[in-house]
Amino acid sequence: MSAPLLRVDDLQVQFFTEDGVVRAVDGISFDVREGELVGLVGESGAGKSVAVSAIMRLVESPGRIVGGHIEFKGETLIEVERGDDGESYRTDATIPDGELRERIRGREIAIIFQDPMESLNPVFTVGGQLREFIELNRDLSEEDAREEAVRMLREVGIPEAAARYDDYPHQFSGGMRQRVLIAMALACEPALIIADEPTTALDVTVEAQILDLVDELQERYDTSFVWVTHDMGVVAEICDRVNVMYLGEIVEQAPVDDLFYDTQHPYTEALLDSVPRPDETVEELNPIKGVMPEAINPPAGCRFHTRCPDAREACKTTNPDCRDVTDGVTEHRAACIKHDAFETTYEGSPPLETGSGGGFDVSLSGGETDD
Amino acid sequence: MATTHSDSETLGGESVEDFDESEQSVEARVGWRYTLAQVRKDPTAFAGFIIIAVASVVALVTTIDAVVFEYLAQYQVFAQFGVEKYWLAKTIWMSPTAEPAGTPTLLPPVGMENTFGQGTWAHPLGTDDRGRDILLRLIYGTRIAILVGVLATAIGLVGGMVIGAVSGYYGGWTDDVLMRLAETLYAIPFLVLVLAFIAAFGRSITFAMVGVGVASIPKFARLIRSRVVSVREDEYVEAAKAAGVRDRNIILRHVIPNSFAPVLVQATLQVGTAIIIIAGLSFLGFGIQPPTPSWGQMLSVSRNYMIQNPWFSVWPGLCILVTVVAFNMFGDGLRDALDPRLNN
Repeated sequence: MSAPLLRVDDLQVQFFTEDGVVRAVDGISFDVREGELVGLVGESGAGKSVAVSAIMRLVESPGRIVGGHIEFKGETLIEVERGDDGESYRTDATIPDGELRERIRGREIAIIFQDPMESLNPVFTVGGQLREFIELNRDLSEEDAREEAVRMLREVGIPEAAARYDDYPHQFSGGMRQRVLIAMALACEPALIIADEPTTALDVTVEAQILDLVDELQERYDTSFVWVTHDMGVVAEICDRVNVMYLGEIVEQAPVDDLFYDTQHPYTEALLDSVPRPDETVEELNPIKGVMPEAINPPAGCRFHTRCPDAREACKTTNPDCRDVTDGVTEHRAACIKHDAFETTYEGSPPLETGSGGGFDVSLSGGETDD
Repeated sequence: MATTHSDSETLGGESVEDFDESEQSVEARVGWRYTLAQVRKDPTAFAGFIIIAVASVVALVTTIDAVVFEYLAQYQVFAQFGVEKYWLAKTIWMSPTAEPAGTPTLLPPVGMENTFGQGTWAHPLGTDDRGRDILLRLIYGTRIAILVGVLATAIGLVGGMVIGAVSGYYGGWTDDVLMRLAETLYAIPFLVLVLAFIAAFGRSITFAMVGVGVASIPKFARLIRSRVVSVREDEYVEAAKAAGVRDRNIILRHVIPNSFAPVLVQATLQVGTAIIIIAGLSFLGFGIQPPTPSWGQMLSVSRNYMIQNPWFSVWPGLCILVTVVAFNMFGDGLRDALDPRLNN
């Protein structure tokens, strides 16, 4: 297996607020191979967006990358180590700010942001912005860049691209704007595109169109993607591999089919349970009970134990790392001590009365104990 | 706007005018044409706009006549055709600075009578203490008012924009240092600051203008900063950062254009203020020096002849009033046009 395009290793991002330190991303590791579409899934506040903005070092004060190592095409985008004095600092391997801006941002890695309504500058024309972006990152002359901009607009399915070149963003619909942003991201043929919930603000019809478009373009340009979303449906549709995040940690990593058919982590299971399914009629959806705890003061032990239907006493004390749980048959890792890969006292410890409280959940976990 | 049903719905040349007023989204309210159309609907703002436009044209023509022709007259090529300062004025009527022999001083406007004589069409608004035509001097005084008012505001605008944008964009100690400096400047009364500036650098209209400009920097800086602080959080700014755009270009191309609307309004109002201050300085003798005509200085001279010919004071006062009010009306209209919440 060739070296991955992007490798994120033990990334930690913290926000230093007045109320205390928020551990938004707490030691996550994942990789993206060439031509692969990797999903990053989780509830709001799980740290998905912070994690991807850390890849481009776009985390803003009071946030800071306090640990970890991100490698892209063999180059170190960031490496932070903790010194003897307890302060974290960047190592010399980290490429300097200017170089990151000139060579990486836009050219090698592009980001598509969440809100297409807000991601285009309202005072300039759509074409102008696209052209400027191409000029900046591809060293083309103004005319060539203009031609290229029109071509890209056509490529992402904007009808009459040349005529719409001089329109302002407010004259475009949400779906069209998202297409423009995709055109902008693709324009410089980057090796990696980070898509931060790009379809969340769109309705499902347009979402489907955009997903098709991305699929098609990905095939043609062979671009790798990191796709951030909270929508399991989107994950199933486009992702090759998936990372599930909960409260700043990755709880399960698996190829997309394994994740859906051989779910190994209770959180992922709960997440899948809460999705409405066309093939099943239920009285009521089964959401995950409770809300995600504050990352400022995460629960001790497994972070999900406060809401986990399978939680036991042992979960209060052990915070599991993400381990291979299928004996290496597939690349399937999960962070739950109920698996044999973890040598803990899970089997022997009594079930925990969790905030998830619903009789259904508890009896389900009780049933497993009897086995 | 019904947008998401089908992309083809929004096809074709939808220009700003094609929108139905009631359906217009907030974001549609950008662009010059829309703003001007909006101002046009507001009679007071439009009146202000017309007055400013006329005054600007007058200022431009008289500037050519006074400054450009004086410069050209240095060269033989032009001098042989008779090009000289106030060439245009002399050709049509008379020089605004000449003191014609035999013309009675302090004549009233046409149709009026005072101890000095009967008003005539030769001098529609009367003559001043040296027998010069008041109308002509008022016309040539427009140049100083508009030019100096606009330039002083431009100095304040550019200075304030740089300081405010840098301050708001970077935040932190940069912000603290720049804003505390601006506030220090703010704490000193405006006129005192300008007078101190003139005292330090010399008594001339240039320094008066620069002084007024510098003194208005804090006002613009604070206004811009307050906008930039919110605009810098917008997603297109982050998108630009992610695309590898330099900070300087982000500030110039993304942050400032999106922070500009309230500043434009403030600038329009500030021109009015600057005109008053400059006129006041001329009145005190710190601004424009005679014989160059300016409204403030005419007002200053005329106060000695208030009893003999009150009209002499009324005209320049009226000119200042009308111009300043015009700028204020236009500024208010512009604010309404640029602020979508005030519409509907």
